[in-house]
Amino acid sequence: MIGIFFRNLVRDLIRQPLRTSLTLSGVVWGTFSVVLLIAFGDSVGKAQIKRFHGMGQGIVLMFPSRTTLPWQGFLKGKPVRVTPEMVEEIPDKVPGIEVISPEFVGSRLISYGRKEFRNTVRGVNPGFERMRNTIAEKGRFINPEDMAGRKRVCMIGDVLAADLFGSGEVIGQTIFIDSVPFTIVGVMLKKSQNSNYNGQRDERCAFIPWTTFSTLYGYKYVSNFIFRPLDLGRSKAVTEDIKKHLSKLLGFNPADPDAIFTWDTMDFEKQFTTFFLAFTVFLGVIGSFTLLVGGVGVASIMRVVVEERTREIGIKLAVGARRRTILWQFFSESLMIMLLGGLVGFGLSAGALQAVKAFPTGSFVEFIGMPVLNPLVIVSTVLILLVIGVVAGMLPARTAASTDPIAALRK
Amino acid sequence: MIELEGIKKVFRMGSQSLEALKGVSLKIERGEFISIMGPSGSGKSTLMNIIGCLDTPTEGEYVLDSDRVAGLSFDQLAAVRNRKIGFVFQNFNLLPYATAWENVELPLLFDGKNARKRKERVTELLKAIGLYDWREHRPSELSGGQQQRIALARALANDPPILLADEPTGNLDSRSGEEIMDILTELWKEGRTIVMVTHNDRISAHSQRIVRLFDGLVLP
Ligand SMILES: Nc1ncnc2c1ncn2[C@@H]1O[C@H](COP(=O)(O)OP(=O)(O)OP(=O)(O)O)[C@@H](O)[C@H]1O
Ligand SMILES: [Mg+2]
Repeated sequence: MIGIFFRNLVRDLIRQPLRTSLTLSGVVWGTFSVVLLIAFGDSVGKAQIKRFHGMGQGIVLMFPSRTTLPWQGFLKGKPVRVTPEMVEEIPDKVPGIEVISPEFVGSRLISYGRKEFRNTVRGVNPGFERMRNTIAEKGRFINPEDMAGRKRVCMIGDVLAADLFGSGEVIGQTIFIDSVPFTIVGVMLKKSQNSNYNGQRDERCAFIPWTTFSTLYGYKYVSNFIFRPLDLGRSKAVTEDIKKHLSKLLGFNPADPDAIFTWDTMDFEKQFTTFFLAFTVFLGVIGSFTLLVGGVGVASIMRVVVEERTREIGIKLAVGARRRTILWQFFSESLMIMLLGGLVGFGLSAGALQAVKAFPTGSFVEFIGMPVLNPLVIVSTVLILLVIGVVAGMLPARTAASTDPIAALRK
Repeated sequence: MIELEGIKKVFRMGSQSLEALKGVSLKIERGEFISIMGPSGSGKSTLMNIIGCLDTPTEGEYVLDSDRVAGLSFDQLAAVRNRKIGFVFQNFNLLPYATAWENVELPLLFDGKNARKRKERVTELLKAIGLYDWREHRPSELSGGQQQRIALARALANDPPILLADEPTGNLDSRSGEEIMDILTELWKEGRTIVMVTHNDRISAHSQRIVRLFDGLVLP
């Protein structure tokens, strides 16, 4: 039964090769558009999120600021001053913190030989590396020994390294930061990053121990600190606990919203993800319209086919075909065209994506990412194909099934 | 048994309407061989279509083997056409792109018979009408007589007790016509009920009884 069914189907399709292929091409093009648009939307979203992760993943940034509410005799506007020692003690007082680092930020003159740049220098602790993805590609990040010894060592961003040394050896070289010699112990692994808070992007920064930073420049209070909660879902609660703890220590109203400004990257990530999901859906809808046009093509061709084959339908009904037999015959034919077109469309788009991959275009990849045929793309395209295919197939099939046998035989 | 009582059929085409049957009553016993004769346009085909459950009367009662046909659903009527009634047309009505084999197989497919049964039955039928060697040929490659024999084989596929033939020899030369008539007579002798429309007295001579239609009515 199934064998005969497919044999007849193929015979019907190849009986009118030109018409079948024209109809097919509409579906092929529609599928191609849907796949590429969804894959594109998906990859742009992912690339942007990756760039966003360049700044750090699952972290909360806290910026001590000024009070905006009076508290225990102090007027509002009192500066909130946090020392790096206080920051490093927080995990002993507040549970739920995986890692925390104070951060000093300053703009300093960095020089090597006759090359000079005014770049951002960050005084941090070793935990910073994990939180902010400032991973050492060569050498290492600063370590606890550096911290304890207030050593003059630094890890520098990949762009700064290239600016200073070109393609030459970097590790072990001595550079001057405001005329103080520092030994380079590491170069940061290149990363995609779309934002940073105060100062330049990490690719141009020098990272030194905060102990060294405060000794050299006489800073007492951090510009900010960063932590990552053990449980990313509890970032809000942990942030509040830290505020409460510091408010007791420093004397400000724990309910003061602006005494310590906080930036929870997880909030942002959620919005970001939602935005790009909407973007992908939007592109998918646009693609679906193209496919809809293909579907309309299938439906109208099938209507003509049904019209032409009225006599055949009449004969089949006369020898005992039931309505659903006729319905299924035409429905499956439309669906077959849709699926065949879909398959070819998938093939073509896979080829196109492969071709895109062959272009080594760095900055393009950074913004657009690499569109690929991932499960999301495949599943959504197949669903769209099926929905359009079922509707496009059902309409002419129902017309066929409601044929009056006598009227059909008189044709 | 076929019982028609006061059958009327009105065709409407836009504002005009045409009464093709004006109250036909007719009883056909099991195992009878009947010819229906009458001038062109007298309603013979219309009557055959109603008997064959291809069409429904506008008025009147049709009882087929004690079933009121008016009470049957479309799919029940399809089952009647599939198993109980074989229909042979003047213009054969074969599927043009299907082979002789596939045309004969069609009613078996619609009946849901399995591949082995279909193969057995189609082979048997094609051999009986002497066209087994022509099984892979399309209708356009066959003579009129051969096509009508294929159509007959198709009508007999599910071994129906009733065979309706609307001018089965109308498009054939006399020799092919005689061949078809020999087969029909043979089928009747096997016990089938046969109702045949014809204009030809030599053809109608094969039957037991002749019913004459004139202007939508049976002549007494
Ligand atoms: N489906 C239809 N729609 C409209 N008119 C029809 C239809 N079928 C038959 N008629 C008309 O009904 C009348 C009877 O037609 P019918 O085909 O039954 O005649 P007939 O006796 O078979 O004639 P013939 O010997 O030419 O085959 C004719 O006038 C015909 O034009
Ligand atoms: Mg007629």
